[in-house]
Amino acid sequence: MSLQNLIMNLQRFWADQGCYLAPSYDLEVGAGTMTPDTFFRVLDKRPWKVAYVQPSRRPTDGRYGENPNRVQKHHQFQVIMKPSPADIQKTYIDSLIALGIRLEDHDLRFDEDDWESPTIGAWGVGWQVMLDGLEITQFTYFQQAGGLEVFPIPAEITYGLERLEMFLEEKDDMYDLKWSEDVSYRDLRLEEEKQFSEYNFNQASVQGLRSVFALAEKEAAQLAGKNLVLPAYDMCLKCSHYFNLLDSRGAISVTERVKMIAQIRVMVSRVAAKFAGVEEKS
Amino acid sequence: MEFLLEIGVEEMPPSHVKTAVEDLKEKFERELIAAKIAPRNLRVLSTCRRLVIVADLPEGQEAREEVVTGPPKAVAFAADGSPTPAALGFARSRGVDVAKLEVIKTEKGEYVGIKKTAAGKGSAEILAQMIPRILGSLSFPKMMRWGTGQFRFSRPIRNILCLFNGRGLTFEIDGLRAGETTTGHKIRSPKPIRPTSFENYARSLEDHFVLIDHEERKKRILAQITVLLEPLRAQLYPDPELLDKLANDVECPFVFVGSIPESYLELPLEILSTAMREGQKLFSVVRDKKQLPYFLGVADAPGDTKGLIRKGNERVLKARLEDAKFFWEHDRKISLKKRAPALKHVMFQEKLGSYEDKAQRLKKTAAYLWGKLDAPRGDKDVVLAAELCKADLVTDMVREFPSLQGRVGGLYAKAECLPAGVGLAIYEHYQPQSLEDESPSTQGGAILSITDKLDSIVGVVGIGIQTTGSSDPFGLRRNAQGICKIILDRKLNFKFLRLLDKTVTSYGEKLELPKDEIVAYCREFFANRLRYLFEKQGIRYDLINAALGAGLDNLYHSYLRVKALDALKASPQFEPFILMAKRVNNIISGQPPSSLNIDLLVEKEERDLQAMFTIVKENVGPMIAKGDYTQAQMMVFRLQPGLNTFFDRVLVMAEDKKLRKNRLALLQAVSRILIQMADYSQVVV
Repeated sequence: MSLQNLIMNLQRFWADQGCYLAPSYDLEVGAGTMTPDTFFRVLDKRPWKVAYVQPSRRPTDGRYGENPNRVQKHHQFQVIMKPSPADIQKTYIDSLIALGIRLEDHDLRFDEDDWESPTIGAWGVGWQVMLDGLEITQFTYFQQAGGLEVFPIPAEITYGLERLEMFLEEKDDMYDLKWSEDVSYRDLRLEEEKQFSEYNFNQASVQGLRSVFALAEKEAAQLAGKNLVLPAYDMCLKCSHYFNLLDSRGAISVTERVKMIAQIRVMVSRVAAKFAGVEEKS
Repeated sequence: MEFLLEIGVEEMPPSHVKTAVEDLKEKFERELIAAKIAPRNLRVLSTCRRLVIVADLPEGQEAREEVVTGPPKAVAFAADGSPTPAALGFARSRGVDVAKLEVIKTEKGEYVGIKKTAAGKGSAEILAQMIPRILGSLSFPKMMRWGTGQFRFSRPIRNILCLFNGRGLTFEIDGLRAGETTTGHKIRSPKPIRPTSFENYARSLEDHFVLIDHEERKKRILAQITVLLEPLRAQLYPDPELLDKLANDVECPFVFVGSIPESYLELPLEILSTAMREGQKLFSVVRDKKQLPYFLGVADAPGDTKGLIRKGNERVLKARLEDAKFFWEHDRKISLKKRAPALKHVMFQEKLGSYEDKAQRLKKTAAYLWGKLDAPRGDKDVVLAAELCKADLVTDMVREFPSLQGRVGGLYAKAECLPAGVGLAIYEHYQPQSLEDESPSTQGGAILSITDKLDSIVGVVGIGIQTTGSSDPFGLRRNAQGICKIILDRKLNFKFLRLLDKTVTSYGEKLELPKDEIVAYCREFFANRLRYLFEKQGIRYDLINAALGAGLDNLYHSYLRVKALDALKASPQFEPFILMAKRVNNIISGQPPSSLNIDLLVEKEERDLQAMFTIVKENVGPMIAKGDYTQAQMMVFRLQPGLNTFFDRVLVMAEDKKLRKNRLALLQAVSRILIQMADYSQVVV
């Protein structure tokens, strides 16, 4: 039992469902939803099935490696099935059984939790999936992305890998998890959590972040103007990450927060509209 | 014949299930009656995965007689009684022999025509059309699509079971065909079930770990809870909403006890129970308002023989409590007083400024209101509470558990040994959250709650945001209702309009609308809230209008006025008096105010009335001041005989202008007394 086993099991399971196994995206993102393999692919009409591991950064969740449950970088296993098949919930349940969870000994619940991401103008309807009170998955039927209605409707399944592995290994401390038989989560990640918590909360240059934010925002607009929507979207992702860092530095007031989120959303919506071939009306 | 419909869905939220159940019952009842197949014993049952309708229906519509009229009798038959071409043509067009034509009497005269019996439509056929239409008409606060379909619903519909008289019906919803099977519990028994009747359906489901009746599940949860709590000599921290939610969320309720490490019990009960409820939906277990080292959980399972469900929940809860304990310890390292300045970075509303600005306004308005209410002690505590009441917004505890705002501030105030009055006022200042919630128990809490809520209402109204229909983004209705509830519960006797005025003034230049416009809007807004509250108490709408017509100067007095009207409405003097009051109002309506000159009262009846009026007026004044409107009303009833003879014997609209003006002046004086009690012209008799 190890995280890499979990990943391999999920990859095998979803590959068998016809998913393409994507490599992780190479930019800092807050969630698997934000990478192009999800964001762009839910915008068009073509069927799409993909599964991938995505390291996800949430700078404000850093705890210097001192909290057994919270980290500034965790790993998501992201699945998109478009259009959502009629038996998608059953397939998801089968994936848990495939991991060796004997569901008849547990309490599996789908609790109302409608997901939304104001920065990328996206929302969906669905649940947080709770296993004996532990949230292990976010299950969402996408309704909108980049401010546009999506159709056909994709189902998005996001497993929290660390959470799920803690359940499987019956561990109370994330750092006690095994990544492989020989390598522990502590070996791999503790130092990273300490150093990045220090960076996120105390060292990141506020001045510098503000200027790279402005730079990326400008570039996103220029690229979108030239119909280079893919690099333009990368710039939006960078903005989102710089914003998160500024937030963890405590440098953003409430009004500024609303303003910056709106700035990113406007850019992302423009990119989405260009990609979908809908000229924005302004 | 039995009609059974089960819509199988992916897990619907409790609030959606509730509205769906109500809507389905209402719509099916109405449409079945309209289709002339009226149902008997129509019931709607539910779990989060099923919406079930069962009813007895006739086999079909009753056969009805149809009448088709043709030409008038005079045109249809010649003088000798033989049919004319018109009659022959009509009979041919209907495919009947001309001899079968009958004479039919109508309002327009006699016609020829035919009568035939038309068979009614069968219920099966009607249902197959009705069901998709009704399901398509349900509406939810948030609707979704799924797959490649265009149908919108709360959550995806995955299965339809429909039986009429034991046989399947043919229809589809968004490409999904109705069938004759359902399945048992999703995890425990996902096998197909083919029921033959509702009774058989309910029993088979129970065999497969599904209880279809919400109330029955609730009962079983409560029964299990009772059994588990008895040996612990403990109670639940009351949470009826959670119980209702859980009864929706599980098809097979199983209650289990888990334990909490003793080290977390030092946390306040409010924090413990919130940490349990939010996220994991667990009940906190208490004895004498103290948390015991246990919790109760409700699982969707027939049991927990290996104890894995309990252990899993214990582990997750421990992590949450660990966080809560960390916040409890770390938050208190910075006092509320030191935190308060950080509120200038927390936005109350973009145009209205920060929470620090709000706290500054509350200091003034709370001190004012404290002074207006019987205040034996100084206002020091309430002013300090106003200054600090929002400081908990910048604590980690409230960031983690936003529903604990206010209460956390109160607990921290107590922990840092601020005066008890300060802590309680902060603790209670969001109460009541609903009409069912309790009003603050202390005067300080009541005052802070009223001034805080009124501050929000005035601010939002003052920047031109209107609350209309279903749109109330700032919860102004709930706030106004809260204010009314506190005033009525605690019998707070003060000039409401003055407080409103003070509140507007406290905003300085920030508000965009002129003061009189804001005040007028708020008056109407509060009148509507009071009307709603009074209606809920079952008071007649016209009595409410009459009481509110006397003004909103003092909301508690508005209540006393309406109570007095309600108490006296059955008394024998009531109706004659109302008629008299209306007569007074009618005659003076549109007349300029004039002053009374006693020397000009020439007739005995007007002098008598004036004398009686003087006595009544002297008596009524103190009664009104005390708020004893029942006594005051009864006193005013005594004017009725005098007014009666006055109107009988004295001509108000006298030729002599002086006399006329003086008589009107007398009636105006009477009316000025009456309007202090109610606007009687609004009472319907």
